[in-house]
Amino acid sequence: MGVTRKVWVLAIALCVAMASPALAQQFNWQQAKGTQLRVLLNKHPWQGAIEPHLKEFETLTGIKLIAEVYPEDQFRAKVLVELTSGASSIDVFMSMPAQEGLKYVRAGWLQPVDEFLKNPSLTAPDYNWNDFLEKTREAMVIEGKIIGPPIQVENTSLMFRKDVFQKYNVKVPTTLDELEAAAKALNGKAMTDDGQPGYGIVARGKRAAATSQFAAYLHAMGSTWLAPNREPMFNNEDGVKALELYGRLLRLYGPPGSENNHWYEASSIFSQGKAAMYTDANSLFPVIEDAQKSKVVGKVGYALFPRGPKGQQGATVAAWGLAMPKTSQNQKAAWLFMQWATAKEQVLAVQSEKGVLGARESVWKDPRGMAKVPADLRESLTVGSKVGTPLWNPPVVAVAECRDAIGAAIVVAIQGGDVKVAANKAATDVKRIMLETEKK
Amino acid sequence: MRHLGIGWSRFVERHPVPVFTLPSVVAVALLMAFPVGYTLYMSVHSWYASSVTSPHFVGLENFRRAFVEDDRFRNALWLTVYFTALATALQLVLGVSLALVLNRPFRGKGLVRSIFLLPMVATPVAIALVWMMMYNPTLGVMNYLVGLVGLGPYRWVSNAAIVVPALAVVDTWEWTPLITLITLAGLATLPIEPYESALIDGASATQMFWRITLPLLRPTIMVALLFRAIDCLKTFDIIYVMTQGGPGFASETLNVYTFQVGLFYFHIGYASSLLVILFALVLGVSLLLIKVRRGAW
Repeated sequence: MGVTRKVWVLAIALCVAMASPALAQQFNWQQAKGTQLRVLLNKHPWQGAIEPHLKEFETLTGIKLIAEVYPEDQFRAKVLVELTSGASSIDVFMSMPAQEGLKYVRAGWLQPVDEFLKNPSLTAPDYNWNDFLEKTREAMVIEGKIIGPPIQVENTSLMFRKDVFQKYNVKVPTTLDELEAAAKALNGKAMTDDGQPGYGIVARGKRAAATSQFAAYLHAMGSTWLAPNREPMFNNEDGVKALELYGRLLRLYGPPGSENNHWYEASSIFSQGKAAMYTDANSLFPVIEDAQKSKVVGKVGYALFPRGPKGQQGATVAAWGLAMPKTSQNQKAAWLFMQWATAKEQVLAVQSEKGVLGARESVWKDPRGMAKVPADLRESLTVGSKVGTPLWNPPVVAVAECRDAIGAAIVVAIQGGDVKVAANKAATDVKRIMLETEKK
Repeated sequence: MRHLGIGWSRFVERHPVPVFTLPSVVAVALLMAFPVGYTLYMSVHSWYASSVTSPHFVGLENFRRAFVEDDRFRNALWLTVYFTALATALQLVLGVSLALVLNRPFRGKGLVRSIFLLPMVATPVAIALVWMMMYNPTLGVMNYLVGLVGLGPYRWVSNAAIVVPALAVVDTWEWTPLITLITLAGLATLPIEPYESALIDGASATQMFWRITLPLLRPTIMVALLFRAIDCLKTFDIIYVMTQGGPGFASETLNVYTFQVGLFYFHIGYASSLLVILFALVLGVSLLLIKVRRGAW
């Protein structure tokens, strides 16, 4: 007995001795215990999925969270007004860098997180920044600084009716030419449950709303919003071609009244089985696969956005992320929250429970992460988020104003007007807006 | 202290009207004077809400820019006038006609009158949403209805050429009852003597309408017109909900444009100057109509 006891004591001592370096390395989540954080959230699938887990963060860190949730328009206005006032008490907020990033960075409102990321006492060793999909990391970088981690990613992609393509023996398009050919071939073919004809393609046509999805056509055609010297470039030859194609597709093979369609109207038409193809954000898949409202559940394929004539990729990478205002008095605690909310466990949780498209590659490789997401969507999303472009919006300060100016040209294209004139007019407007809003 | 109390109560007894209305007068003056004053102040400044620089004085630059450089503003100004003229004209003709019909004695008159007033009491946003469904080019009932008489199909609110008339129809549907109501009130006050004399002189019903009813009703109609013209100039809810100024900028009236500039682009200075212009427009039209009314009287 005595010998056994000694062996036991020795074994335990050995274990403790071996474990102590690991213990020393273990990350201290309690380092900002007692702090109170004010977090502003946009009403969004990610917010809905993370909210039930917020208590876990409070238990882990001893930090108290005050989360406020607002519908998107009010949310954006509230953040802007608070930051403008210079006396904001926000510690963390949801942000789309391509929408407001440059404006906020130029105004000096955001606290970059580069230093936090490099600091081993503030960042858990298993956080692994490089696990985030490449272009989503890029999407979170404004003027060379990381403004926060991404929380959700989406691409402009091609959603199509597998049954319709099969029935009429049409090849799923992988290029823009094939996209137009398929739209033409399928337009007017019977495709609803009761055999009514549907449209070849549906997409957004409403002024500003259309620009973010038109971006994929623009990039695939080989153009982009601004040239490196920050002159408008979307009105060059390729840009005009993209506008013409977008307009032609919706005018000839799309539903009448496309000029007034936002994603809500467009996804309704597609979900009702009235269109063969739909180009929009693939994060709309829960709407399309909603058994209560959609008539095309299980019939839809999700593909990478078609390539351009020279093989260019068009898929956009739109990321929602978290950001921290410079005025936050609790930056260390705010970083702990950002880190916790985007750690692999949380990304896995929101993705497996609610189908929120996370930005971590490891989660996409985990079978649990794929449970609620169609396999072809996972495939196209991971590829799209590596090869796509984060420039789903023009990289300017006054994004909303420039989107309206460019959106007007999209409407002209859909209505069959003079696209070149409209594109040049939009470029002149964008130049003027940039001149006014980007004075240094 | 006692002396002061007695003095004060005597003062109140002697001047009850100014004393008791003073608090509300001050409150209203502050509530109106501050926003109006601040808008005027901002209209001569340039300031983006998200900019780090504070507002700087630019004089009348915002106004110059609106009239000289900003074609979106000029388009909005024209659309405001177009929408107002079309909507008020439609409402006036329909409203007065309806009032003349409803003024005749018939069974169930009270009930019919109440039903006609229903659109006016509904929420504009709800009306806009319902009309949006009715105007839907594929699913809506409007194309079915015009199809019955061999017209259409139309892309009602997505065709730049007809979006403003389509919106004017919605406004007309909602606000014609107001004109009917005011005209009915006017009809009730008309003297009976001129009609008796006309009858003796052998005038026809048409002659009596054009020579007696309409001239006597003119002041009433002018009041109705004034109300509707002011409202139409600043219509926002129907247009914003149904088209948000689209397609493109084809239905972007001054009010919608100002909203975009102020609350989407956060260009507060410029939006303020647009508001001042809108205010001047409303004031101008009101003064003009009042003058016409007085002349007619």
